[in-house]
Amino acid sequence: MSGPPDVDGPKSPDIEDFSARQHRGGRGVLEARGLTVRRGGAEVLRGVDLELRRGEVTAILGPNGAGKSTLLAALAGLLPLAGGDLECHGRLASAGQVAALAQRSVRANVELALAWWGVPRGERRERATRALAALGAEELAGRRATALSGGEARRVHLARVLAVEPDVMLLDEPFAGLDPSVRSELLYAVVDLLRDPRRATCLVVHDRAEAWALADRVVVLLDGRVVADGVPGEVLERPPTPEAARFLGFDGELADAGGTLMLRPGHVALDPAGPIAARVARRVLVEDAVRLELDPAGDGRLFCNAPLPGPEVGAEVRLRTAGGVRFSD
Amino acid sequence: MNFIWDGVKQAFELIFEGNDEVFDVLGVTLHVAVGATLLALFVGLPLGLACGLGRFHGRRVLLALLNAGLGLPPVVVGLIVALFLFRGAPLGGLELIYTINGIILAQAILAFPIVGAFTATAVDAVPRALFDQARALGASRAQLATLALREARVGVIGATIAAFGSALSEVGAVVLVGGNIHGQTQTLATAVLAEVSAGQYGTAIAFGLILLGLVLICGGAMTLFQYAGDERDERRFLPGWRAS
Repeated sequence: MSGPPDVDGPKSPDIEDFSARQHRGGRGVLEARGLTVRRGGAEVLRGVDLELRRGEVTAILGPNGAGKSTLLAALAGLLPLAGGDLECHGRLASAGQVAALAQRSVRANVELALAWWGVPRGERRERATRALAALGAEELAGRRATALSGGEARRVHLARVLAVEPDVMLLDEPFAGLDPSVRSELLYAVVDLLRDPRRATCLVVHDRAEAWALADRVVVLLDGRVVADGVPGEVLERPPTPEAARFLGFDGELADAGGTLMLRPGHVALDPAGPIAARVARRVLVEDAVRLELDPAGDGRLFCNAPLPGPEVGAEVRLRTAGGVRFSD
Repeated sequence: MNFIWDGVKQAFELIFEGNDEVFDVLGVTLHVAVGATLLALFVGLPLGLACGLGRFHGRRVLLALLNAGLGLPPVVVGLIVALFLFRGAPLGGLELIYTINGIILAQAILAFPIVGAFTATAVDAVPRALFDQARALGASRAQLATLALREARVGVIGATIAAFGSALSEVGAVVLVGGNIHGQTQTLATAVLAEVSAGQYGTAIAFGLILLGLVLICGGAMTLFQYAGDERDERRFLPGWRAS
């Protein structure tokens, strides 16, 4: 399966809205060309091209081991390059995956970051307070950093990178290790903070929903290569390769004349009048619904979410599809 | 048993009558211990920081040498230092043999591996991510070193206490390099040795008690400083908790 994809079904209005984000970006403040990094003899990054622009939030998505954190560390200049070059027109600050804080107060931690950055002593208190307030963490200022919860430590961790006001901000999984409620609360808190016309922001995120919520642009990394790069709506709805599609949740495949249609569960629905006949192979309960694994009459495998109680395993059903992405053979 | 009691009584008389001789020895002891500890910190802290923070070739060798240095035999170190400091020896021109500064040098050689090895271990235990984060935000080497020392302060102050304690109580190297000259290079520990040799058990016990008191006071004061502001002291049992 290769060749340019074309999209089936009506184009969702969301895609149009998200396309508008693409033009926000300004001049490239960090440019990486052909970035190659080797670790232990193996190539972890293979010729990555990436340009980060002011005012733009770029999310890097990819499965475990794809090289996301390596890419971020390489962009930060923390790794020796085996190939390619890196050009940065400004000061860069990165926040690691671990919210490691010094054993002192929260405010002192942010002030310490400002001291490392070279901010004069007289400005530190005010800037630290401002950054903590922006993240809704001002009431934590006097607390000892070692006594914070995971979510609170994350806020302080982000506050100290925001406080230094870099030209390029790199965040490695800013929501790692948080439970879902704390995660969504923090996501909500940073969604506007991340976007700043003076700054290019790049973050490695764990799932598509985070990329969708936060980013103007999504870069999908698979096996050390960029396989998709564009506005979230386009990348998430029209992935350019079957590999990227599979990673982005297009787990259903339907072979037809001259190609394969790849579908998300949301693109498939049970419909007694639908054109596709299939048999239920497996069912798994998910929140408020049942996920069905379906064997269609032709070649392929489909997934869909049906309202409870849903058909039993072995039942013959009819389906219709809307959307999805087609790859020619 | 009587002579022990007599010794203790004599000790208290010597201490509380403000005996000049005792104060002289006490002064030399503190001078040597403070000087040797400062010199050991000056050499040992950078080595410990380099081993704890750095990732360079030979780091493990240096760490192994520092750890081995914890077991340096004082008499042998004293002998080697003395051999180098004797008039006519390579470092004889420094005129350090039988001087307080000579003793400080020998004691510092014994104490710097303590400072270095303990500091390296303490810094190594600080989460690496914190140093990576500091580097990522542009921290200079000096700022990293300060951060490491502050984060590892309990271990670093522990190393200082150990170095100071060893410098207070050492005998072999002090006698060999300092000559145990009464009123000049005699410390409390070597005074005990001299008094015992002369059969003056009372005075020996007096010096011994003063030395013990000094070790306790200094160790206690430094421990208070070591754990100042540590929130672990504020932990309390949960109210309503009962052993079942």
